[in-house]
Amino acid sequence: MSSDVRFTDFKSDKQPTWCPGCGDFGTMNGMMKALAETGNDPDNTFVVAGIGCSGKIGTYMHSYALHGVHGRALPVGTGVKMARPDIEVMVAGGDGDGYSIGAGHFVHAVRRNVDMSYVVMDNRIYGLTKGQASPTSRSDFETSTTPEGPKQPPVNPLALALASGASFIAQSFASDALRHQEIVQKAIEHDGFGFVNVFSPCVTFNDVDTYDYFRDNLVDLQDEGHDPNDYEAAKEVILDSDKEYQGVMYQDENSVPYHEKHGVTEDMSDIPDGAPEDAMDLVREFY
Amino acid sequence: MAEDLNWAVGGEAGDGIDSTGKIFAQALARAGRHVFTSKDFASRIRGGYTAYKIRTSVEEVQSVVDRLDILVALTQRTIDENLDELHDGSAIIYDGERSWEAEIPDEMTAVDVPLKSLAEDAGGAIMRNIVALGAACEITGFDVEYLDEALEKRFGGKGSQIVENNKEAARLGQEYVAENYDLEHLGYSVETTDNDYVLLNGNEAIGMGAIAAGCRFYAGYPITPATSIMEYLTGRIEDYGGHVVQAEDELSAINMALGGARAGARAMTATSGAGIDLMTETFGLVATSETPLVIADVQRSGPSTGMPTKQEQGDLNMALYGGHGEVPRFVITPTSITECFWKTVEAFNLAEKYQTPVFLVSDLAMSVTEQTFPPEAFDMDDVEIDRGKLVDDDEVDEWLDAQGHFRAHAVTDDGVSPRAIPGTVDGAHMSTGLEHDELGRRTEDQDERVRQVDKRYRKVETAQEEEDWDYREFGDEDADNLIISWGSNEGALVEALDYLEEDGIDVRVISVPYIFPRPDLSEEIEAADDVIVVECNATGQFADLIEHDVLTRVKRINKYTGVRFKADELAEQITEQLSAEVPA
Ligand SMILES: Cc1ncc(C[n+]2csc(CCOP(=O)(O)OP(=O)(O)O)c2C)c(N)n1
Ligand code: SF4
Repeated sequence: MSSDVRFTDFKSDKQPTWCPGCGDFGTMNGMMKALAETGNDPDNTFVVAGIGCSGKIGTYMHSYALHGVHGRALPVGTGVKMARPDIEVMVAGGDGDGYSIGAGHFVHAVRRNVDMSYVVMDNRIYGLTKGQASPTSRSDFETSTTPEGPKQPPVNPLALALASGASFIAQSFASDALRHQEIVQKAIEHDGFGFVNVFSPCVTFNDVDTYDYFRDNLVDLQDEGHDPNDYEAAKEVILDSDKEYQGVMYQDENSVPYHEKHGVTEDMSDIPDGAPEDAMDLVREFY
Repeated sequence: MAEDLNWAVGGEAGDGIDSTGKIFAQALARAGRHVFTSKDFASRIRGGYTAYKIRTSVEEVQSVVDRLDILVALTQRTIDENLDELHDGSAIIYDGERSWEAEIPDEMTAVDVPLKSLAEDAGGAIMRNIVALGAACEITGFDVEYLDEALEKRFGGKGSQIVENNKEAARLGQEYVAENYDLEHLGYSVETTDNDYVLLNGNEAIGMGAIAAGCRFYAGYPITPATSIMEYLTGRIEDYGGHVVQAEDELSAINMALGGARAGARAMTATSGAGIDLMTETFGLVATSETPLVIADVQRSGPSTGMPTKQEQGDLNMALYGGHGEVPRFVITPTSITECFWKTVEAFNLAEKYQTPVFLVSDLAMSVTEQTFPPEAFDMDDVEIDRGKLVDDDEVDEWLDAQGHFRAHAVTDDGVSPRAIPGTVDGAHMSTGLEHDELGRRTEDQDERVRQVDKRYRKVETAQEEEDWDYREFGDEDADNLIISWGSNEGALVEALDYLEEDGIDVRVISVPYIFPRPDLSEEIEAADDVIVVECNATGQFADLIEHDVLTRVKRINKYTGVRFKADELAEQITEQLSAEVPA
């Protein structure tokens, strides 16, 4: 890993096709800066992306990367990290990708506590498919498929993570660049699954959860003197549906990541030219 | 034909039928005898009829037959279910002290042994099956020492007292029969040899092959009959620096395995039936991202949840065509338990050489059947590992474009691109399920699309030329009658040859371990008068392929009862088909 890595090294030369003003620009910049700031470089980083406008992030970043199928980014990231504990793994996707089609995987990735970071660009809408309700859409939010609103309460991803036994839960806002970067950095540095839900406004299809809305309503937990190691306090802010918070809600100081807990520490890419030396033992077992 | 002994133990699920059968099979293998086992079981954990059957001979046995010589019956249903296979000389060991009154046809020999009370004398009723094994030893004159060895293997971990108790139980069973019966007239004997055989099933062979081939990461979700691959690997792969993850579902399992493979590990997943359906979503991604991945499908009876504990070869079309769009993949079908091992090794090599998904299509019959082999059949020195075009730091340069980007999907003559794994300096690149250019970046450019599709299919052409897609052959090479089969039917067919020979019928058997690409059989088919394709499915999926390949109609033998072919049954059906008209 070279020490002179700049965040632009994580940038590909492909121009983003996101709508001008899309929150995903800010989200991505913060991610790249956080990766560089934590001492990673593109050759030792693996970014897995889901499907959606958010998922395009893998294309605009430069590193080892896989842009997979809808909702399955977390399992891919898990596989990468299992095989290569030496590699920095970051998984990115949208609220639909992560909390709808991928909700099952989310719960299990959280409880496995694999040492990777997961950044969800939550715009409370399906962007790429042009404006349908997402699992985080408000219950009265009118969209092409829900003309009277989804008529069901939104998923609270932070609470879902908490209930699944998360060791790191945070939320940030794409346009508060410094705070966002700092929070993602903490997720990367966390020993275990670092989950960050990012308010990343969709300027084209969501006229409710806008930049202005978040600017006016966002409460920074730092200003509130919130202690992320305090589980009860974390529970309170996470379950508080009246306010929008940013900051690290919860961090388990004693988190032991999966690979340490289960002794998965070898570089699995390195294998001998033939069967392992003592492989005949496997046959003898059947005597 | 081999001098067989056919033995079975049957009772209710939960009666320890499986482990009893396995212990006896191991004892026979220790005695240098060939063993071929089969299981009757229902899809429930407790209750319901279940049986473990052993066919054993000093000669190689590769199939089940319709004959039972000695039956240990723990329930009346065990006798009823097997009446067809029992014969005049059959001995039936049962416990007359127990509450059921055995109805045993007069012409058979009833051997009433107080299994439960003798087991209690030895230290616990739980050992009643072992008492029965001792009784079986006496009936067949089989040296109980071999049984002792098997008991040591089985219970050694539980302490010497348990081992001794079990040996005592066997001894009591043996003595009881010796004292109370004279069964020499039945004529059973168990000749032993100096050979040492290993006894294993197809799933164990796949798991062992995976470790031998350097597989280090396995992700799976439990499903009958694939689960035992995961069970085998768990607890063993760790010794080689690997790891198994039980994923939350098959969608996750295949994506995890894909992640492991992209990170540079040899990775694998295995499933059956419904699990293959779920994994299909990701086949295309594996293929377009050109990720080497081995996906095993241990077929069971479908569709839907079908008959989960029954045999079928119904997923061939799924393996060949499953998934939207068109994607190249290899489909390999091991034809025996040893082939389960070797084809797994080959699957990993093909996956890495051609950077494609490889389907390893096995079936339930092979997965639960245990069979003996000389250990050399799995000679690890013969395992070769070919990682294909994996580039290191020094070789990356050759594959960078003018701007210094790694061309992970470079269009090459042979269709195979260089592969850089994370950590390779300057090899960073992205891969995607979207159509992409040489750098892995999304494109909808018409020319680029065509170039990439052609490139991916060119890998298959290259493989078709470079690899041996041959077949296994048995019987009379010059016979006019040609039988073609795939998967686990091979053993039964090989033995059917003996029956056919007795009737003066010559046949040539071709057993095909590769479905795609597959050997060109047109010459063999043209040379034959009669061509019959044998498979365990209703529609003849492989027969369809053969007909398509050579544009000729073939005869078919299809079985879809949920039970594998038997040698004698096959011989009969082949004879029947040979005199039938070719379908119009
Ligand atoms: C299996 C599958 N179903 C549906 C789709 C269509 N699809 C593409 S993106 C998307 C929703 C994405 O929403 P979100 O994750 O919120 O991302 P955004 O575009 O808002 O960033 C859907 C349904 C798909 N690609 N794959
Ligand atoms: S549709 Fe919305 S989420 Fe998608 S790029 Fe445009 S602004 Fe961003």
